[in-house]
Amino acid sequence: MRQEADIAPANVAVTRRLFLGAAAAFASFAPCAAFAAHGASPLKVVETTIIDAPPDKVWAVVSDFAHADWLPGVARVEASGDDVPDQARRRLILADGGVIEELLTKRDAERMMLGVHREGDDVKRLPATNYTALITLRPAEGGKTEVEWKARFYRGHPTNDPPPELNDDVALAAVTALQRAYLAALKAKVEGR
Amino acid sequence: MKLSRVPSPVANRVFPVCASDAEVGSSRLRFGRGCRAERVTGEGPHPTPLRGATFSRKREKEARALFAALFVLLCSPASAAEAFITAQGADALSIVDLSKMETVATLPIGGKPAGIAVSRDGARAFVTSPEGKFLTVIDAATRKIEKRIPVEGGPLGVAASPDGKRVYVADLYGRRLVEIDLASGAQRSVGVGAMASGVAVAPDAKTIIVADRDDNALSLIDAATFSRVATIHVGKHPFGVTINASSARAYSANVESDDVSVVDLRARKVIATLKCGSRPYTVALAKGRIFVANQHGDSVSVFDAETLAPVDTLKVGEYPEGLAVSGDGARVYVANWFSNELWAVDAQTLKVLGKAETGDGPRAFGAFIRDAD
Repeated sequence: MRQEADIAPANVAVTRRLFLGAAAAFASFAPCAAFAAHGASPLKVVETTIIDAPPDKVWAVVSDFAHADWLPGVARVEASGDDVPDQARRRLILADGGVIEELLTKRDAERMMLGVHREGDDVKRLPATNYTALITLRPAEGGKTEVEWKARFYRGHPTNDPPPELNDDVALAAVTALQRAYLAALKAKVEGR
Repeated sequence: MKLSRVPSPVANRVFPVCASDAEVGSSRLRFGRGCRAERVTGEGPHPTPLRGATFSRKREKEARALFAALFVLLCSPASAAEAFITAQGADALSIVDLSKMETVATLPIGGKPAGIAVSRDGARAFVTSPEGKFLTVIDAATRKIEKRIPVEGGPLGVAASPDGKRVYVADLYGRRLVEIDLASGAQRSVGVGAMASGVAVAPDAKTIIVADRDDNALSLIDAATFSRVATIHVGKHPFGVTINASSARAYSANVESDDVSVVDLRARKVIATLKCGSRPYTVALAKGRIFVANQHGDSVSVFDAETLAPVDTLKVGEYPEGLAVSGDGARVYVANWFSNELWAVDAQTLKVLGKAETGDGPRAFGAFIRDAD
């Protein structure tokens, strides 16, 4: 088992150890998490970065939903639906053999916004559920681009009184780490490093 | 770790957050009450002459006209309609002055507030905190918290009886609808379906509807006996529910089937299904139209309530959730969760009239408008 947020910093590594310890106890939870079961309080994470390239160039990478193999940990992508919102889907085939399925929810070239919803949850990989991202590009000074990666999700535990391994803080830390890693990978891809 | 970011144009605007808000609220109330007291005097049949018996009738008229003008001028800020927006990320209630489209007060609530119901007379606001497991009762005029009522489970959807004496709270996790008698504090519950979400009380006070999200159904509760008299199968994952003014029809926004079920409450069956945008969340009714907030669509679908024909689809802010209508039905208000905004839309022309910044994560799940006094 490999947690998606491994790619990220130390605070998440602690989370991961906690999580590995509890994983067996939560094995019975997995079928439940496969449905869109979630509680009453969506969480939000907003991360931004500046990329040294004009918005058009960044948008060309971000909006290419079907070829997002620059995402960290992704070996290859299988896509369908011709980048049409609410139809286009992609399977991110991960280097560790795992698979993440995502639906394109928005692709607005004029406003440079891309929306992606993760289909099906695997709290062993990411201790959060019902993850939706909204990526927005804005022109920044000096011909650069500000990329904002916003997420909406719920904690891993679908009802009240979560165990410490699946509480809000764990979900927030994991998604924050994930989005920082996504942004770093995007920056590296666009800037050619 | 930055968890959320206020958009830059308003980053420097200060929203009062703690005890000081209550002070703002109370001074405003004193002002308002003062005006009302004066109005009673001014409208009396024989106002005390200002300058003895020589005070002419004409001058008396002028004085009264002047007074009336002053009254309107002084009292209008206190009587503007307001929106009570649950800002779940901010753990607070944002109160938006709808004449200025500006957040004028922020009340800390706690427990991740989600559901809201303003009583029909505007006296009180009821806010559910699903994580804190309580209902907060707020004196809407003074903006002071009256009390917190513990509600077990996950209190989410909330609606008040038309007379304001009872509050109905859906327990998301407990398969039940809770009725709270405000005067006595007594609670009783009735069993409903899985993941009870939205609640609506019919204007005739006879029927209560609950969205049983994970059962893909609505529970129909007889208010007098407080018993579940029917379940009605609707689209997939109904969340927000609304009942029309004549108490004849209910509408559910079905998140996972991207449609709205139109229910005949007397026949207790779905009479139409309206295809809307992606992930519809809530429904509001105004100007003979049905408005539906589409979370993933960043849009509001509009239908003719009579013919059920689609009228238009409006682009709104990011991730719209709560919808509510002004008392006169002229405007529809949309809470946008991702972009932390409340938008005002003209229900007739469908033009966007204004936008207000709110606290982080506006859910505004329920009847969040408090009409002008």
